[in-house]
Amino acid sequence: MNQQELIEKIKNELGDKILEIKSPSARRIFLTTSTENLVDVIKKLKDCFSFHHLSTISGVDNLKEFEILYHLANNIASLTVRVSISRENPVVPTICSVIPGAILYEREIQDLLGIKVDGIPDPRRLVLPDDWPEGNYPLRKDWKYQPPEEKIPGEKK
Amino acid sequence: MKKITIPIGPQHPALKEPISLRMTIEGEVIKDADIRLGYNHRGIEKLAESKTYIQNIYLMERICGICSHSHTTCYVQAVEALCGLEVPKRGLYIRTLVSELERIHSHLLWLGVAAHEAGFDSLFMYTWRDREVVMDLLEIISGNRVHYAINTIGGVRRDISEQQKEKILEGIEFLRKRTEYYTNLGTTEPTFVARISGVGKLPKEKAIELCAVGPTLRASDVASDIRKDDPYAVYDEIPFDVCTADTCDVLGRVVVRVKELIESYKIVEFVIKNLPAGEIKIKAPRKVPEGETVSRYEAPRGENIHYVKSNGTDKPERLKVRAPTLANYPATIEMLKNGFVADIPLIFAAIDPCICCAERVVELIDVKSGRSDIMTFSEIKRKYFCEKKRETL
Repeated sequence: MNQQELIEKIKNELGDKILEIKSPSARRIFLTTSTENLVDVIKKLKDCFSFHHLSTISGVDNLKEFEILYHLANNIASLTVRVSISRENPVVPTICSVIPGAILYEREIQDLLGIKVDGIPDPRRLVLPDDWPEGNYPLRKDWKYQPPEEKIPGEKK
Repeated sequence: MKKITIPIGPQHPALKEPISLRMTIEGEVIKDADIRLGYNHRGIEKLAESKTYIQNIYLMERICGICSHSHTTCYVQAVEALCGLEVPKRGLYIRTLVSELERIHSHLLWLGVAAHEAGFDSLFMYTWRDREVVMDLLEIISGNRVHYAINTIGGVRRDISEQQKEKILEGIEFLRKRTEYYTNLGTTEPTFVARISGVGKLPKEKAIELCAVGPTLRASDVASDIRKDDPYAVYDEIPFDVCTADTCDVLGRVVVRVKELIESYKIVEFVIKNLPAGEIKIKAPRKVPEGETVSRYEAPRGENIHYVKSNGTDKPERLKVRAPTLANYPATIEMLKNGFVADIPLIFAAIDPCICCAERVVELIDVKSGRSDIMTFSEIKRKYFCEKKRETL
C-alpha cells in the first residue's frame, strides 16, 4: 500500500469525521478532526491502519486558539492528527485508553500549555516544579518570563 | 509483607544525571515505580521561539552532549523541508558519516556503562578506551569531540579530505576487531550473561503499546528503525540491516547495540568509499516561508522527532522536540515492575537514559509551596538559610 492509497482508505473509513486531510510531502500526512471525534479517529487509525506508535503530542498556541497535534506513525507514513480548541476552555479528551504510552505527553501539555486533559489517569505534574505558581503556563505565547528578584541573605540595604 | 516506598534520586550515586525514581517495594521485589522529571529543565523550546533559525542550530546541539548531531540533523532537515532546499549529495553523505560515528561512540559508551552496572568493570574500561578512537575521528572531521557543529541549513560546514578518509578507515578497522571481541565476550561470558539475562523483561506487546523506541523496542523483537521506515539523508541508498533480538531483556539490549555497531562500521565504510564529488552546501534563505513539518531521526537511543512551525519570519513560531529517552520512560516502569532492587541501576541504564535530552523546557523559579511530601527547592533554601543564620548568631 502506498501513501496515496492509504489516504484514500483513511478517507473512506473515517468519512465525515475528517475535517481536512492533506499530504504536503512524502511520508507526511496531516489530518484535522474535531475534539468529539478525536478518540474515535485515533482508535480507528490504530486498529485499521496499524498506527500503533505515538511519537509525541505537540501543542501550539496561535493566540486565537490552541492546536493539539498527535504525531502517529506506521511503516508507511507519519500522520499528524490535529484538533483545535478554544483558549477560554481548553479541554481535550485523554487518548490513554487507546494508546497507553500517551500519558507522559498528555501530562506535559497539561503542565506547559495549561490544557486540561479530560479523564487522564495520572494528572500530576510532570516537568514543572511542585512549587510552580498556579496559572502560569510557559509555552503560551502571552507568558513572559519574569526573573525573580534576587535576594542575597544578609545583604546591606 | 508491608509495602515500603523508597526514593532514589534526584541525586544518587547510581544515577549520572538528576532524576527522581520512587520505588514501592515489598521485601526485595519492586511492586510499583514512579518517575518524576523536571530537575534538568532549561527552557529550550521557549528560548528557540526567540532565536533565529541559524542560532537555533547551535541551541539544538546543546540539548544533549552525547547525541548532539541527532538534534541538529533532525532540526535542519525540518527547516530544509520548509524552505524546499535540495541539499547536495556530498553534504548528505558527510552528514550521514557523522551520524554513524556518533552512533558508534554512543553505543560504545553505553556498552561500558551497562558492563559497569552489571559489575564487569574490565569491559567498561576496554570499551571506553576504544571509544577514544572514534572520538578522535570526530575531532579530525569537525574539530570538536562532542559538539561537532557540522550541520548548517542547506548542507554541512566542513568537507572531508583524502587523508581524513584514510584515517577514518583505519580507525573503523581497529574498532571492528575490538567489537567482534566484545560480541563474543558479551554474549558468551557466563557470569556476565547470567547477570543480564532475564532482567528487565519487556514483552513485545507491551513495548508497542507503551510506544517504546530505538534499541529498547528492537530488543523486544520489533524491527522498527527510522532509517528504514522513514529514510532521511541518504539511508535509502545505503545497504544495512535492522538489528533485533527476541529475548526482551537487558541481554537483548546488549546484543542489539553490539550488532548495530557492526552495521554502523559497514555504513561508515560504504559512505567513505562512495562519497560523491561536488558541493557540500547550498545557500539557504534567512527567512523561512510559512508552513509546518515533522522531522524524524534515528538517534542512538531511538526515534527523535522535531515539529517545526514557521510563520514567514526568521524565527520559528513553535519548535517541539521529543527526545528518545522520554518515550522510553513508560516502558522502563514496566521493566522495573516485579524486578529486584539490585536490578534498578542495570534496568535503568539499559534504556541508555539521557535526562538532559528528555528535559528541555522550563526555567526554575522558587516560590513557596504547600506540598509537604516532597521537599521543594524553596523549602530546602529556607531551611538552609535558617540554619546558617542560627550558626552566625
